[in-house]
Amino acid sequence: MSKEERYDIVIIGAGHNGTTTAAYLAKCGLSVCLLEERPECGGSQETTEPIAGVRIQPHAIANYGGSAPGWDQLEMWRYGFRMDWKAGAYVPLDLNRYMLTTDGLSKVTDVDKMGWGKICGMLTEPMFFKDLMRATFWCPPHPPQVELNEHTIPFMQVYKQHQPDMWTRELLEMTMFDLMDEYLETEPFKVNQAYIALVSGAHGHMEGGAIPALCSVATVLPPAVAMPVAPRGNIHGYYHALLRCAIAHGTVVRTCCPVEEIIIEHGRAVGVRLRDDATQGPKKIWADKAVISAVHIKPTFLEMIGPRHLDNGFLQRIKDLSLKGGSLYMAHFLTRERLHVRPKYQKDDYKYEDYGSFTGPFYPMDSRQLYFEHVTEVLGHQRSLTIPPERAMYGMVASENYAECHPQCTRPGLHINGPLFMLVPTPQYNVDGIEAMEDKAKWDEYMRVALSQVVDNIDSDNLVQIFSDGPWDQEFRNTGMMGGSWYGIRCDRDQWWNERPLPELARYRVPDIEGLYLSHQSSAHPGGLCLMAVGYNLMHILIEDGIAEPGDWWYASPWYIPEEGKISAIPRRPASAATQ
Amino acid sequence: MQKRELTGQPHPQCFFSEFPAESDWDAVIIGAGPNGLMTAAYLARAGLKVALVERRYEVGGGLATEEILFPGYYSNIHAIYHLMVDYMPVVKDFELDRHGLVWIKPNLQTAMVFEDGGSLLLTRMIEDTADSFHKFSHKDAVAFGKLMRTWRRIVSEILAPATYIPAMSPIDISVAMQRTDIGNEMLELVEQSPLEVINKNFENDRIRALLLYVSCMWGLDPRETGIGFYVPLLLDRGMNKCYLHGGSHKLAGALAREIVRAGGTILESSDVTKINMNNGHVSGIELMEGRTLNSEVVISSLDPHTTFLDLLGAEHMPADLKDSVEGWKYDKWSYNTLHVLSEEAPHYACGDSWVDESFMTIIGFESTDQLLAHWDNVVAGKVDDNSLGGHCTCESFFDSHLVRKPGRHVSFFQMHAPYDIEGGWDKRGPELKEAILSKWQKVAPNMKRENIAMTSQETPVDIEIRFPNMRRGSIKHGDYRPVQLGCFRPNQDCSNHDTPIKGLYLCGASTYPGGLVLGGSGYLAANRVSEDLGVTKWWKPTKEMEQYTKTYLE
Repeated sequence: MSKEERYDIVIIGAGHNGTTTAAYLAKCGLSVCLLEERPECGGSQETTEPIAGVRIQPHAIANYGGSAPGWDQLEMWRYGFRMDWKAGAYVPLDLNRYMLTTDGLSKVTDVDKMGWGKICGMLTEPMFFKDLMRATFWCPPHPPQVELNEHTIPFMQVYKQHQPDMWTRELLEMTMFDLMDEYLETEPFKVNQAYIALVSGAHGHMEGGAIPALCSVATVLPPAVAMPVAPRGNIHGYYHALLRCAIAHGTVVRTCCPVEEIIIEHGRAVGVRLRDDATQGPKKIWADKAVISAVHIKPTFLEMIGPRHLDNGFLQRIKDLSLKGGSLYMAHFLTRERLHVRPKYQKDDYKYEDYGSFTGPFYPMDSRQLYFEHVTEVLGHQRSLTIPPERAMYGMVASENYAECHPQCTRPGLHINGPLFMLVPTPQYNVDGIEAMEDKAKWDEYMRVALSQVVDNIDSDNLVQIFSDGPWDQEFRNTGMMGGSWYGIRCDRDQWWNERPLPELARYRVPDIEGLYLSHQSSAHPGGLCLMAVGYNLMHILIEDGIAEPGDWWYASPWYIPEEGKISAIPRRPASAATQ
Repeated sequence: MQKRELTGQPHPQCFFSEFPAESDWDAVIIGAGPNGLMTAAYLARAGLKVALVERRYEVGGGLATEEILFPGYYSNIHAIYHLMVDYMPVVKDFELDRHGLVWIKPNLQTAMVFEDGGSLLLTRMIEDTADSFHKFSHKDAVAFGKLMRTWRRIVSEILAPATYIPAMSPIDISVAMQRTDIGNEMLELVEQSPLEVINKNFENDRIRALLLYVSCMWGLDPRETGIGFYVPLLLDRGMNKCYLHGGSHKLAGALAREIVRAGGTILESSDVTKINMNNGHVSGIELMEGRTLNSEVVISSLDPHTTFLDLLGAEHMPADLKDSVEGWKYDKWSYNTLHVLSEEAPHYACGDSWVDESFMTIIGFESTDQLLAHWDNVVAGKVDDNSLGGHCTCESFFDSHLVRKPGRHVSFFQMHAPYDIEGGWDKRGPELKEAILSKWQKVAPNMKRENIAMTSQETPVDIEIRFPNMRRGSIKHGDYRPVQLGCFRPNQDCSNHDTPIKGLYLCGASTYPGGLVLGGSGYLAANRVSEDLGVTKWWKPTKEMEQYTKTYLE
């Protein structure tokens, strides 16, 4: 057991991004070791069955990555990837035909639909939707010498080329609300899209965030992915395909192997030392070419490297990275009867059964005043929500929304509903999961009341159990979700793209430590969601540094700008092959 | 048949491709429990193009380490005691320690505690066991040491290697065993019941109770003759149980990686609805989602009812096979398990403080009569809340990775329980939970309610819901009774892992040598399929198997 292990690449953390990176690098022929501290790989892409026959998704639910180059570059289908989908649910422009407000249903108008279609690139021939998504998420930040403006920022280039009437400098200053005010009509629809953006990581109200926020919503809707958005086997099924791609190309996987230290010799990361309680003991695992940290940026620098190699000014900036705004309270409701939507949320021409008996709404979408009430409490460092649950905003995935051939509850006589997800305050402290549980009954009741605004039978007769996963639990389960922030650090303009997580780290390298790269949602563009994006973007950098030499399957982002003096990640073959 | 290359199929509503609606394979394996995984792993490395399909969202079957104390704490919800790590060919053939698998085998394997503070120990090292027996009977302590030295040989030379060698008829076994003294000693045991074997050799009632529990806990009828040879096997293995660091599921994960690394494909969340037939030969399977996997070899790890009646269909079966499948008997009892998260590891109030370190602790039984009465009750569909008993394990005592917060512990209490319980599980489940917690606290006072943060109970009905082919909560897919053992498991036509249906093979716990993560059925099925297809085996028998073959079969 004490035999020395040596690989080209050691990756710390087998969550979504660590595993994507492993798959890409192993496919390049490199020897890769993927280390995971938990007994199971997958990070937050997990499915659990807390009681027999009841399947729940504590964190990640949806496939946001439909436009990723990884689907074909990594051949995800080969490793068993499948979506569940319903033929009748393919409605890219009018999926949410009515919005749920406290007064009842609010119609989404044609102006809304066409406006949304236009800004997402669905109305041109051909559509530029996929280009817009790829430009936003699947392109590494430009080298620091490149000036960022409406001519160079990738998504601006896409608008300039495909929808020149939208292309104005102001797009870079706008909030998502500003943009929607210009192109959409009804307030509830705008609030709905902004709330999806909020829970998808890019806030709908942040200045300069209009396009990333828009894309965070569009990427989880058709035509990027089928409806419903769950892969077969749930998000863990998607993860299996990714992990197996990495393994099929030779990645060595080690679970129960927490890393204590990134070993740095003469300014170069050369390997890692495992923690005492690792299955294999505190052994060292050496990396000849690179150590890649796919764990949270804070422990990476503050614990695994520390002040011996980094100055305190830098460490303070790492400490200061904001975790706010990424905490979701996830609640599944186990019930005896199916949930019934209140009559005021039913309409003859709104066929719930097309989507399942209860589609799971976003509620209450009345106005941005409600949106701001909620957001203000969450981001204002409150430990609790003081707004009444009747006015709190949430979204919900209904399990009936899964394909019939993909039952989420096989326990006779019971139904599982959810998760309901609500943005809640981020604990910036270590609260223990159990102690927080007393608090939890209160939160669970809050969620139940919130849901009962839309559903008329979520009462004690019907409700069997609530399985809920708060930010506290998430932090305890996934160290990559510090403070319960599911996208690692906030995705605001100061911590996004060329400034994510800090300007000097934005190209996934660590300036003073050779051979160390960053590949976690908290430390790399574009941040969270299961996009296969961090790994793809990092590939450009590893090619530049001569570490990765991919085969013919590789294509670079068309908006990528190589760093001077480095190897270009653009393959030397006709440009047509690189823009599929 | 010309097999097509696997190709991606563009998704009609997305930008990407999916696994295709129809695909061709050399072998399709149904069910990714330990046996399905092993069969697939051997065959994939032998160069066959294999697909392994699994109904659940995760591979492993009973090798499940999951978060049922939700959220945040892992439990081994099904298999935890790995009895055959010393002998399973799969460990050596796949060099599983390369995958970071570390099995822990505590010396103190089993303790039995009594209400008066007395305790008995069963340890890996014989003399430590004898030390504890001396407290009750010097004669038994001496007898144990002497007997175990012979029984260990019966296990290591005969029963363990035979687990991985195709089943033989009782007559062939008799003839073969007569070649050696140790073989003859084994034959003598065959005729007896477990109770007879134990009563004949030991005089003290508590010692008898301990040995009887360990021998019969996996579903042997203590009074059934013809299965006495299981006593040395299960005692010896009960003294050599292993815990897989990181949880049982790690074994499943390692085998799954072997399959994928060798080019195999695993599909979870794939309910099989049908085994397809073409001209009297198996031609593949259908999945609930509508996909078809074509293969002239289909290997099922499921129970006989599911494989033959539900998936294949009676119309494709010879009448006698149909009769035998319909007559298949599921396990005589199932298990009810209460998983708990507690503030402290259980601390047993008994004279011997070593008990706290035991891998397994039997509680609740003061005498063999009480133990037998409990089992009789269970077989009759009843549980007496006042005199139930079972065994406990504190998993996190050996494995800190199961708990997120140091200091807290996950443990479980497991008891024999009927699938059809008088009063029904909806009513009796909560009552039994209370009875168990009271019982546990009686012997381990710190397991008081204030110290218990969470509980999660798995009843026999839950076992069946979670793993539908453990019908009636049958963890071994079928009872261990003489007519369902050896070459009769599941019947004489199928015990060598092929079946009267061309192209259909069996690799599950309902086939020889049976369940309990022996690693036998999956291994033997892989051998059988390789031989039938003329595939070169890349693996060799273990040295114990070679020695056994040389001594008894050549």
